[in-house]
Amino acid sequence: MIALGSSMERPASHRGAARASLGVRAVAARLLGWSLLGAFAVAVLYPVLWMVLSGFKDNQEIFNQPWAPPGELRWENYARAWDLGVVRYFTNSVIVTGASILATTLISAWAAYGLCRLRLPFGNAVALLVLGGLLLSPTVALIPLFRLLTSIGLFDTHWALIVLYTAFRIPFTIFLIRAYMIELPRAVDEAATIDGATRTQVFWRVILPMCRPILVSAALLQALFAWNEFAFALVFISDEALKTLPVGLVAMQSRLLTDWPVVLAGLTMAALPTILLFLVGQRQFLRGLTEGVGK
Amino acid sequence: MTKPRWTALSLVTVLVATAGCGGGSGTAPAATADLSAPKEKAGTLTMVTKFADPEYAPYFEKVVAAYEAANPKVDVKLEQVGDQPYKDKIRVLSASRDLPDIYFSWAGDFANKFVRAGLAADLTDVIGPGTPWGSTFAPAALKAFEYGGKNYGMPINLDGKYMVYNKTVLDKAGVTPPVSFEELLSACDKLKAAGVQPIAFGNQYGWAAIHYITQLNAYGVPGRTLETDYNPATGAFTDPGYVTALKQFKDLVTRCGTKDANGLSHETAQAQFLAGKAGMHYVETVEFDVFTKAKPAIEWSFFRLPAPSAAAGDKAALTGAPDGFLVNAQSKNAALAVDFLKFMTTKENAAALTKDNGWLSPVKGSATADNSYPQLTDALADIDKAASFAIWLDTVTHAEVASAYLSGVEGMLSGSRTPEQVMEGVRAAAAKAKKEVG
Amino acid sequence: MGALLTRWRTWLWVLPAVALLLVFVYYPIVDNLRLSFFSWNAFSPEPRFVGLDNYAEAFADPVFWRALLNNTAYAVVSLVFQAGLSLVLAALLEELVGKRMRGLLRTLYFIPAAMSITVAGVLFSFLYNPRYGLVNAALDAVGLGHLGRAWLGEESSAIWSVIAMSQWQSIGYTAVLFVVAIQRIPREYYEAARVDGSGAVRTFFSITVPMVREMTTLIVILTISGAFLVFNEVMVMTAGGPDNSSQVLGTWLYRKAFFEDDMGYAAGVATVIFVITFAIAALQLAVSRRRRYDT
Repeated sequence: MIALGSSMERPASHRGAARASLGVRAVAARLLGWSLLGAFAVAVLYPVLWMVLSGFKDNQEIFNQPWAPPGELRWENYARAWDLGVVRYFTNSVIVTGASILATTLISAWAAYGLCRLRLPFGNAVALLVLGGLLLSPTVALIPLFRLLTSIGLFDTHWALIVLYTAFRIPFTIFLIRAYMIELPRAVDEAATIDGATRTQVFWRVILPMCRPILVSAALLQALFAWNEFAFALVFISDEALKTLPVGLVAMQSRLLTDWPVVLAGLTMAALPTILLFLVGQRQFLRGLTEGVGK
Repeated sequence: MTKPRWTALSLVTVLVATAGCGGGSGTAPAATADLSAPKEKAGTLTMVTKFADPEYAPYFEKVVAAYEAANPKVDVKLEQVGDQPYKDKIRVLSASRDLPDIYFSWAGDFANKFVRAGLAADLTDVIGPGTPWGSTFAPAALKAFEYGGKNYGMPINLDGKYMVYNKTVLDKAGVTPPVSFEELLSACDKLKAAGVQPIAFGNQYGWAAIHYITQLNAYGVPGRTLETDYNPATGAFTDPGYVTALKQFKDLVTRCGTKDANGLSHETAQAQFLAGKAGMHYVETVEFDVFTKAKPAIEWSFFRLPAPSAAAGDKAALTGAPDGFLVNAQSKNAALAVDFLKFMTTKENAAALTKDNGWLSPVKGSATADNSYPQLTDALADIDKAASFAIWLDTVTHAEVASAYLSGVEGMLSGSRTPEQVMEGVRAAAAKAKKEVG
Repeated sequence: MGALLTRWRTWLWVLPAVALLLVFVYYPIVDNLRLSFFSWNAFSPEPRFVGLDNYAEAFADPVFWRALLNNTAYAVVSLVFQAGLSLVLAALLEELVGKRMRGLLRTLYFIPAAMSITVAGVLFSFLYNPRYGLVNAALDAVGLGHLGRAWLGEESSAIWSVIAMSQWQSIGYTAVLFVVAIQRIPREYYEAARVDGSGAVRTFFSITVPMVREMTTLIVILTISGAFLVFNEVMVMTAGGPDNSSQVLGTWLYRKAFFEDDMGYAAGVATVIFVITFAIAALQLAVSRRRRYDT
């Protein structure tokens, strides 16, 4: 599974051979296939493109010439959306996402290390607890969490989201990292131990650096999750100044109902970071996804 | 992975044990706040409003600063949040019995919830009708915060619902402002024949329709019945006037509105009206600013939604309500809170409210030619004539009833429910609310 | 004694994870079950024990069943698109497209999944606008203007419009997962099939479909459990309306809890969601563990 990255690039040479025996029916079939792929690409891309372009239009252009490109690039729409709240939502999302990435990957890496390298008393119970965590969905906990967070004073703070995003993603992340750690040769940490390193030193200096690829994947997936999470952010944050992007955007849409271009500019700005992150870290993303789905 | 059964079992035990600690904390008995004028004005006041919008917030900051300047020993901690966040925040604060000294409330069951839970101080002695402070307010506004014959709130602004019309569009179609509901319908036919949308109507979130129903209920159902039905402890909704009101509204939408109303937002509809593509638009006075600022300018005026000729209810009722402030019943500074609220509603501060925020103040004589525009002063004069407010149906009733009305009317508009079926749903919700309040 | 202490000290590694899980994941879910036997709201001082009343009320409530039905519809449609059509797309991508182009298309298809559901939801609520939306404009342009409607504003179309947006968003994601699975199929199988003179369609059904069976199972399970947890897109696009016609269990819970102040009923709905998703997730675990022992 670690070799996934390279297998993605493998040239599938059977296709070349297939081309030699083309009949009329085969040509028609290929044409159909291509048009399906093409149509799908258009269907996927067009709304995104429309969103980006309409962010540059004015209301008249959107309403009267929905298909045409913008008459001019009105960057002021983007500036306005930014000032009208996107900058604040953005900052909040960065804080919550960043903190939860750090907490989730570290806590999960510790636990994964504890679970697969050390002999814990009741280690099985811990493993079971973590495994069980995979079966529980956040929606179910909404109401009790509302009570819990109010009573411990975390309601309407960034901490509420940071703690919850961490807690609910720990099971998945532990399993992701653990699956990778198990494959690491034990000889390495044994050698380090013989050299006099403590367990803590082994973890920080040997294990953690070796796990880097999977940590990156885990961090990316956590970023995608935390950046986009909606239900907790909707229920547990009420202060306008603390809202994260997903909830903030909806609030902005209901404030600016008739100002489509500004809302669309805001949407574009909100979508950009995760799309860029995906484009840059595509391989790590896919590794995390397939490993995560598989385990 | 082997799993000894007992570890799983002990896990469950631990979870059940921890779960036991979640019980609610005891209730504090409803204290009667001491409202007699404070001997010395000193201490800290906490206040939460829902006016975080940049166009409204500065007014409250200004009043607080002025009060603190006049009373150097008082520290007012003002927190302002947005509309929706406020609903969450106040829910949390009341659940944790951590309410500020002064807090915002809509009129109707929203305020009554606090009264029933013993969280709102009885202000009858200071603001009741006949008291010096109370007689500075328009009576209908005070009445909106009355519950069981007692006054619990101080109104801060006034809001009425009016049919705004574009004079140019109506003139062109040869239509004059209608004086009865039947005339309104035939005016719609004329406008349609002239090729314009008679009434711009967007009902995406359901409340736009509810405002019509509020008014039509007030026209069609006797006031006493309405009062009984809107109170969750006694609501029955058996009067035939309710069904009639729904039928009238259905006619109105068929002849004056559009088929896609449920999919259009109120604001999109408004944009249509502003662009001169529709003749009329049913709006709140707080929205009037939009029409004065329309570009290109439009020539506009307004009238009340006219009453049907056969109306069993109050033809002088007007849909609308004040927003207001309640005082925490457990507040140690209740007297100081009242003093601050009095300061906020001096004629001078009330006039500033109209000037700064474009709102109508319930304080008599606060709107003048130099702090408002003609339509606004006309509206205030008209509101003064209103015998009582028909408070928004979705805030005056219990949340269950409001919800049944909202979704039921949406269903009626899209044709999946008859008016009778809508009322069946409302009655079921009322029965449930009765049990809950019980 | 010292040895025992040292052994227990290893617990420090898993302690943060275990503590977070117990407090913020397990406790709320158990507490939810308890709360569902009470009638209470934020304003009522003391919860009142009502036994199974909340459940009885939910089961007698047509909106509850409507919500469950909508979740089911969500699951069925998602299965067709995300487990069916996306496999076809993945196979076509592998069969027809050259290496470079394939990478490009794969990236394109994934872009909606990298956007947040909120962004996609708000974007589509613009596209579905009855007056100015692209969907009606497109229908007009091809002479099907009479099919145009207020997509999110009519009971007959609201939930289906939301589901359609969701397919747009997720299909590329599962297609990419299928691509990975297809690439893991040994090339020899395809070559053998070619030698046998088997056509593309037959090869698809005789080799591709059975060989990606594991991935299919996992996607099926993920899709179904996702369909019963759906919240975000419905909240953003219709909030369950009009007339509760597009309500799903998640949004119905939210509305009951935070608008109608009926926390007990909402907790009951949460329990139903818990039972459904727990069963599905347990199935997933069983399947993926069996798979690991098989290979």
